[in-house]
Amino acid sequence: MASAPRAQFVTLAALVVAIGCGGGKPQEASAKSNTAARPLQLAQAPEDPATAQPSGSAAITGRVAFSGAPPAAERVKMDADPQCALQHTDAVHKPEVVVNANGTLKHVFVYVQQGLEGKSFAAPASAATLNQHGCMYEPHVFGVQVGQELSIVNSDATLHNVNCKATKSKPFNLAQPTKGMKTSKQFAAPEIMVKCVCNVHPWMAAYIGVVAHPYFAVTGDEGTFSLAGLPAGTYTVAAWHEKYGEQTQTVTVGDGETGSVAFEFKAQ
Amino acid sequence: MTQSPSLLRRYVFSTDHKIIGIQFLFTSLAMLLIGGALAMLMRWQLGWPSQPLSWMGQLAPNGMPGGVMVPEYYNMLFTMHGSVMIFFGIIPILVGAFGNYLIPLKIGAPDMAFPRLNMVSYWLMWPAIVIMFLGFFLEGGAAAAGWTSYAPLSVTLGPGQTCWVVSLLFVGTSSIMGSINYITTVINHRAPGMTFFRMPMSIWALFITAIMVLCATPALASSLVMLLLDKTLGTSFFMPSGLIVDGVALAHSGGQPILWQHLFWFYSHPAVYIMILPAMGMISDILPTFARKPLFGYHSMVYAIAAIAVLGFIVWAHHMFVSGMNPALGTSFMVATMVIAVPTGVKIFNWLATLWRGSIRMTVPMAHACAFVAMFLIGGLTGIFLASMPVDMYVHDTYFIVGHLHYVLFGGSLFGAFAGLTYWFPKMFGRMMSERVGKLHLLLTLIFFNGVMFPMFLLGINGMPRRIYDWSQYAHLAHLGPLNRLMSLSAFLLFASQLLFIGNFFWSLFKGKQAPANPWEATTLEWTAAPSPPPHGNFERTPHVYHGPYEYSVPGSSQDWLPQNQAPSDK
Repeated sequence: MASAPRAQFVTLAALVVAIGCGGGKPQEASAKSNTAARPLQLAQAPEDPATAQPSGSAAITGRVAFSGAPPAAERVKMDADPQCALQHTDAVHKPEVVVNANGTLKHVFVYVQQGLEGKSFAAPASAATLNQHGCMYEPHVFGVQVGQELSIVNSDATLHNVNCKATKSKPFNLAQPTKGMKTSKQFAAPEIMVKCVCNVHPWMAAYIGVVAHPYFAVTGDEGTFSLAGLPAGTYTVAAWHEKYGEQTQTVTVGDGETGSVAFEFKAQ
Repeated sequence: MTQSPSLLRRYVFSTDHKIIGIQFLFTSLAMLLIGGALAMLMRWQLGWPSQPLSWMGQLAPNGMPGGVMVPEYYNMLFTMHGSVMIFFGIIPILVGAFGNYLIPLKIGAPDMAFPRLNMVSYWLMWPAIVIMFLGFFLEGGAAAAGWTSYAPLSVTLGPGQTCWVVSLLFVGTSSIMGSINYITTVINHRAPGMTFFRMPMSIWALFITAIMVLCATPALASSLVMLLLDKTLGTSFFMPSGLIVDGVALAHSGGQPILWQHLFWFYSHPAVYIMILPAMGMISDILPTFARKPLFGYHSMVYAIAAIAVLGFIVWAHHMFVSGMNPALGTSFMVATMVIAVPTGVKIFNWLATLWRGSIRMTVPMAHACAFVAMFLIGGLTGIFLASMPVDMYVHDTYFIVGHLHYVLFGGSLFGAFAGLTYWFPKMFGRMMSERVGKLHLLLTLIFFNGVMFPMFLLGINGMPRRIYDWSQYAHLAHLGPLNRLMSLSAFLLFASQLLFIGNFFWSLFKGKQAPANPWEATTLEWTAAPSPPPHGNFERTPHVYHGPYEYSVPGSSQDWLPQNQAPSDK
């Protein structure tokens, strides 16, 4: 007598669970960003493409110039977290627009945008590192290859969270409460750029260029870049900056040749 | 109508109210243990913030990578601790276990009015439990919006929070089924002579609690459905326009977050009384038994419970004094809340008057009952602080409220449950529990309970917010470290002390002394008209009731107690 009502109940329960739990979104995915259509930024020393077994002997080098009066850098106020403030004796500014002494722009992510279609490149065995140090991200702009390990490190004795708002790969938002904590992540698909922020310290921001090949670099104190080990061919090279957007140029290089590209970003 | 002999029908899918009560009992005790374990993890983080607990790094690699707790995991812990304790622990043990076990026995009925509905109400608990804990294994983890699940946070969280909502829908349905059953049974199935004003206070309390459950739970159920729709179908019952989460504008528009608070507390404030009234009823049965005196002011006790129940429905917004509600509205809720102190005070004074000049038998249930009165008093008095709007604005969402609710829910409800369990254990299982171990358990529990909970008031007044993950990150809380560590040590010892109870429970279950039918020389029907444990159907013959429930030290009687079913000519 009781089995029929019980069966009905089980069916009802399964239905409610299916409706209830099926439609949920992951917590990290509940707020998606649209960084793809965003401004740009300068970069630092290029990643070592040699680790990803380049398949040619061509190279593309260049510099990223800046013209006009750069905007004044915004000063970061760290007083709310003594652990942050104690690590700096000098004033800290946001590394958004950093113009080098030679008139070049730092923190520009340069990469091969077109010309490598149909080729596949293994991810390097070595990990890229995103360090949280002095309540700033180091590096501020950098690149990783799809599938490459990204090691996220907290070097501060305070709580940080790393909220990386990828849209092509799985976004993540993880906390690192203690000094020395390390977490490894990977990105599954190319994306220019993935923005990472710390919600505890709202001035912290890092940009990660995720590309499918090893031909990327970030401009440093000299404002130059070098993409070595390319196969001979015609390439579209893009330069991305967090405030000034993206520029592209096309260049053709043969084996053993070095092509040159010059970008220029103007003050707005 | 003979009972099926199969073990499955007799012990698992049983329709016998006693088996169902015992099923609720074991389930809720297990849940209390799990909820307590979650609290221990919280106390580890609060005592020694971000210190690694390596074995937990293995068990929960995402929540405690390398053994270090991350904030999201802490949010899950306090959410699940509160939810498990309230919905799977305290309400099921007081209403499910004692309600099911006691109501037919104490009113002289062979079983509940709707035995099969009763069985379903128990088995609905299991999908609720499974779904709630399922969240821990889903992406984003378990529910993390607090046991109050305030929108919009609860709407923006992931599938674990959705499971919390679905789980509570099951619990709510279970509660509604149980309440219909209790109300019908008490109204229609009382033995001859068992007039309403001959019912023991535990039955009065459970009866009134069932009415509260029936009136309040549908409000929760409907608001849960709305929350579920907001989460899954994109409706905007509780979601305002222009909400930006993590830099992204959400598509919801036009909803009212404060509506959730109103609907939730319209259920959950009565739920506070649902969690305390049954304990009050049981204490009112236990104190006269061991003071060998009639309950002082029986009728006033009934009216006090009824008054608390009625007032309990018009005070919900005292949880929302800082929500931006109209202050004039707040004043009326403040006054209504303070009025509850009157019937509550009546009960406290009646209990004290019952003890006054009694021939106290300080058994384990009696000691727990006395602990209940003392601890609940602290919980009640601190409630008056919180009822006062100007004070609440200062201590709102601090550890002061955490202390208050633990004095009510642990100091009150759980001491009441311990009192009830040790009192009715001989009837349930036919064995006596160890008095010596029981008293040691009570003593340690009382000491360490106060060691954990009393400093919460000090923390709250010092400005430590509730639900805080790491107080050491804030300079103004840094001096609270020693107090937090004392609380954590007390919490661990409190948890360890429960091993004594568990050991005593299971040892007594198998090895305890055989219990006579009426080991406490009590007057009510479960003791005087049924063996220990009672058989299926409870009574050989339907008992006839001639007296009230608290006829102790009756002048002219040959013994100092008069069973409810003893005919006047039997004297």
